[in-house]
Amino acid sequence: MLTDAERERFAQIADVLIPSAEGMPSASQADVDTVWIDVALTHRPDLDELFRSALVVGDGLPGAEIVELLNAEHIPAFEALGTLTAGAYFLNPEIRVRIGYPGQVPTIPRNDVDSYSDLLENVVERGPVYRDV
Amino acid sequence: MFTIRSRDLPDVADVLVVGAGASGSVAVKELAEKGFSVVCLEQGDWTPPSEFAGDKPEWELVKQKQWHPNPNVRDHPADYPIDTTESDVNPLMFSGVGGSTILYAAHWCRFLPSDFKVKTVDGIADDWPFDYAELAPYYSRMDREIGTSGLGGNTAYPDGEEFPLPPLPIGKIGRKAAEGMDKLGWHWWPGANSIPSREYRHRPSCLRYGTCLTGCPAGAKASTDITHWPAALEAGAHLVTGARVREITVDHKGLASGATYVDREGTEHHQKAAVVIVASNGVGTPRLLQLSTSSLHPDGLGNSSGLVGRNLMMHPYGAVSGTYEDNLESWLGPAGHAIESMQFYETDASRGFVRGAKWNVMPSGGPLGMRSGYGGRPVDESWGENFHRNVKANLGRSFEWGIIAEDLPDEANRVVLDPTLTDADGIAAPKLIYKSSENTTKLIDFHVDRAREAHEAAGAISTSETRLMRDCGWHLLGTARMGNDPATSVVDQWGRSHDVPNLYVIDGSVFVTSSGVNPTATIMAIALRSVEHLIGDRSNQLTSAVS
Ligand SMILES: Cc1cc2nc3c(=O)[nH]c(=O)nc-3n(C[C@H](O)[C@H](O)[C@H](O)COP(=O)(O)OP(=O)(O)OC[C@H]3O[C@@H](n4cnc5c(N)ncnc54)[C@H](O)[C@@H]3O)c2cc1C
Ligand code: SF4
Repeated sequence: MLTDAERERFAQIADVLIPSAEGMPSASQADVDTVWIDVALTHRPDLDELFRSALVVGDGLPGAEIVELLNAEHIPAFEALGTLTAGAYFLNPEIRVRIGYPGQVPTIPRNDVDSYSDLLENVVERGPVYRDV
Repeated sequence: MFTIRSRDLPDVADVLVVGAGASGSVAVKELAEKGFSVVCLEQGDWTPPSEFAGDKPEWELVKQKQWHPNPNVRDHPADYPIDTTESDVNPLMFSGVGGSTILYAAHWCRFLPSDFKVKTVDGIADDWPFDYAELAPYYSRMDREIGTSGLGGNTAYPDGEEFPLPPLPIGKIGRKAAEGMDKLGWHWWPGANSIPSREYRHRPSCLRYGTCLTGCPAGAKASTDITHWPAALEAGAHLVTGARVREITVDHKGLASGATYVDREGTEHHQKAAVVIVASNGVGTPRLLQLSTSSLHPDGLGNSSGLVGRNLMMHPYGAVSGTYEDNLESWLGPAGHAIESMQFYETDASRGFVRGAKWNVMPSGGPLGMRSGYGGRPVDESWGENFHRNVKANLGRSFEWGIIAEDLPDEANRVVLDPTLTDADGIAAPKLIYKSSENTTKLIDFHVDRAREAHEAAGAISTSETRLMRDCGWHLLGTARMGNDPATSVVDQWGRSHDVPNLYVIDGSVFVTSSGVNPTATIMAIALRSVEHLIGDRSNQLTSAVS
C-alpha cells in the first residue's frame, strides 16, 4: 500500500504524464492515483521498489520538473513509473471505452476469403515464386 | 506446484526424453502409442489455459514480466539464466510442458525446397541430408495432428499442401496489407497458423484474443501440452515435471545409460534408460551435452566433431510498423500471422546478399504495448498531451510487417557453458556468443526498405522501423547439426549421435541451415521422421550394458 505522502506525490507526477487534454481525463480524474495504481502494482510487484524510488526524487519541485529530472537521471525508475501509470490508466474500463479499445474480448473467427479473393487471384495469375530445385 | 505425475516410474525406461516441448512431445506420444515405456523429464510444469492473462484486463502489464518470452526477464523458478552479454540477440523460450509452444505465435510454415539445398543452389553453408519431398508427408501428418488453418494453393510452395481447417480471418490489417502488395505486384498469401479456425479434435475454435504470444486463454492454439500430451499420457507415458536434468550418464562403453536430474526440492535422482533422446531446444540441448562430460567423452557427449553448441542460428528479426488513417482493429487476433509474403525469399544475387526472409503481418496489441522504452527521450514525445494524441493515432491503426531473416551457420556463433553463472540448482548456465553477420545486415536493410514500400503502397500515413530487434531469439537452431559426415556434424539424418549410437537429438538443434521461415512445423516433422526411424530400426539399436 502506498502511504498518503507517496500517493500525493504520485498524483502530482501522474497528472503531468497524463494531463486532461484532447477530450480525455487526466490520470487523477481517472482515479489512477486512488484506485488503479494499486491494481497495477498487485500485477507488477517487481516494479514496486523502482516505482517508490521515483516518488522521492525532486522533493519540493513542481511536477513537471520532477518528471524532467526522472527522465534525465533516473531512467529505470522513470520507466517503471511510466509503465505503471499508463498501465493503471488503461485498466480503468471507462478509459478503454473512451479510447475505443474493447480489450481482448472473445470474437468468433469468420471466414473472410470472399473479401480478398479478388486480390488473391492476381497472385495466382503471377505464378510460382519459389525455386524449383 | 511441481508434481511427479507418475510415481511408478520404470527402473529402466525403453526411452528417456529430456524436454516436453515441441519435439519431445512428438517423440513421447509416438513411442508411448507404439507400446514403449517412455519417461520424459521436464524442468517446468503444466500451465493450464486459465493461468494465461490474455482474457484479463491486466494482460498488457503482465506480459512485460510474468509472461515475457525472455527467461532472464521472466525469471520463473523453472527457467535457467542465460548469459547474453556477448550476443546481439536474446534467446526466447518457455520452460514447461509444451515447451516454447506455450508462448509461440503459431505461424505454421514449411521450409521451401531450396532451403534443403543451400549449398547446391547458393554455393554456401550446406545441404541437408534429405529434401522437401522426403519431409512433405511428415509435414502433412503434423498438419493434421496439430490442426493447421490455412488456404491451399500458395504460389510460394510446390503443389500439394492441404490444410485440415479453413484459414483464419486475415481481418482489416490483412486486407490493408494485401492491397499494398497487390499494387506492387508482390506475392502475399493468407498465413497458415497452428490455430484452429473452428473446433478441432476436442479443441475449441480460436476466439481472436490476439494474445497467442503470452499463451492462449481459450485453449485453442496448438501448444503440445494440449495437442500431444493428453494422448501420450493416455498411452502410458511417464512425465516428471520439475525435473532439471544435470547430466546424461554413460556406461563403461560410453553409451548413454540414463540421466541424473534434480527435483524442485533439490533432491537428485537417476533414471536409467536404454535410449536417450534430448529435446531441450537449441540452447538447452548443447548446454546439457556439454555438461555431460566423462572420461570417454571429455568434451561433452556426442562432441567428437567439436560442433556441439556451434552454428547457433536465431533468425534476426527486422520490422516495419505502419500507421493508417482507418481503424483497422489491429488488436484482433490471431497473432498468428494474418498474411505472409515470400516475394523476396529466394536468393537474387543482384541484391548483394544471399538468401532471404519470410514477411508476416501481425496485430499490434492494445494501448500499453505500443508504449515501451520511452525513458531518455524528450518527455513530451510520449507524455503530456501527446500521450492522448499517440493513443488516438496508433491504437487499432497500426500493424507490422515482420521480417524473419535467414542467418547462415557460423561456427563462431555458439552456446558455451558460463564459467560463473549457474541456475537455481547450481548447474552451469549457458552463455551465448552470437554476432549478426554482414550478409544478414544487408539482407535486413534490403527487406526493411521493401517493407516500408509495402506500407506506403497500402496507404500508411507514417512508418517506423527496427532493423534488428534484440528480443527476437524465438528460433534456436543449429547447435547439434545433422549430416552424413561425423567430422562436420553431431547427429546423422535420423538425429542419432555419430559418437553415441543410443543418444538422439530431435529438437531445433539439428538444423543444418535455418531457412527464413518459422521453424516449428519443420522441427516437429523432423522429430516424427526421426522417432519413426528409431522405432522401425529398433532391432539394430545398441543399448547400454547398464540397462
Ligand atoms: C515467443 C515465441 C514465439 C514463437 N513463435 C513461433 C511461431 O510463430 N512459429 C514457429 O514455428 N515457432 C515459433 N517459436 C519457436 C517455437 O516455440 C520453437 O521452435 C519450438 O518450441 C522449439 O521446440 P523444441 O522442441 O526445440 O524446444 P522447446 O519447445 O523450447 O522445448 C524444450 C523443453 O526442454 C526443457 N528443458 C530444457 N533443458 C532442460 C533440462 N536440463 N532438464 C529438463 N528439461 C529441460 C524446457 O523446459 C522446454 O520445455 C516461438 C517461440 C517463442 C519463445
Ligand atoms: S487469438 Fe486465438 S489462438 Fe491466439 S490466444 Fe486468442 S484464442 Fe488463442
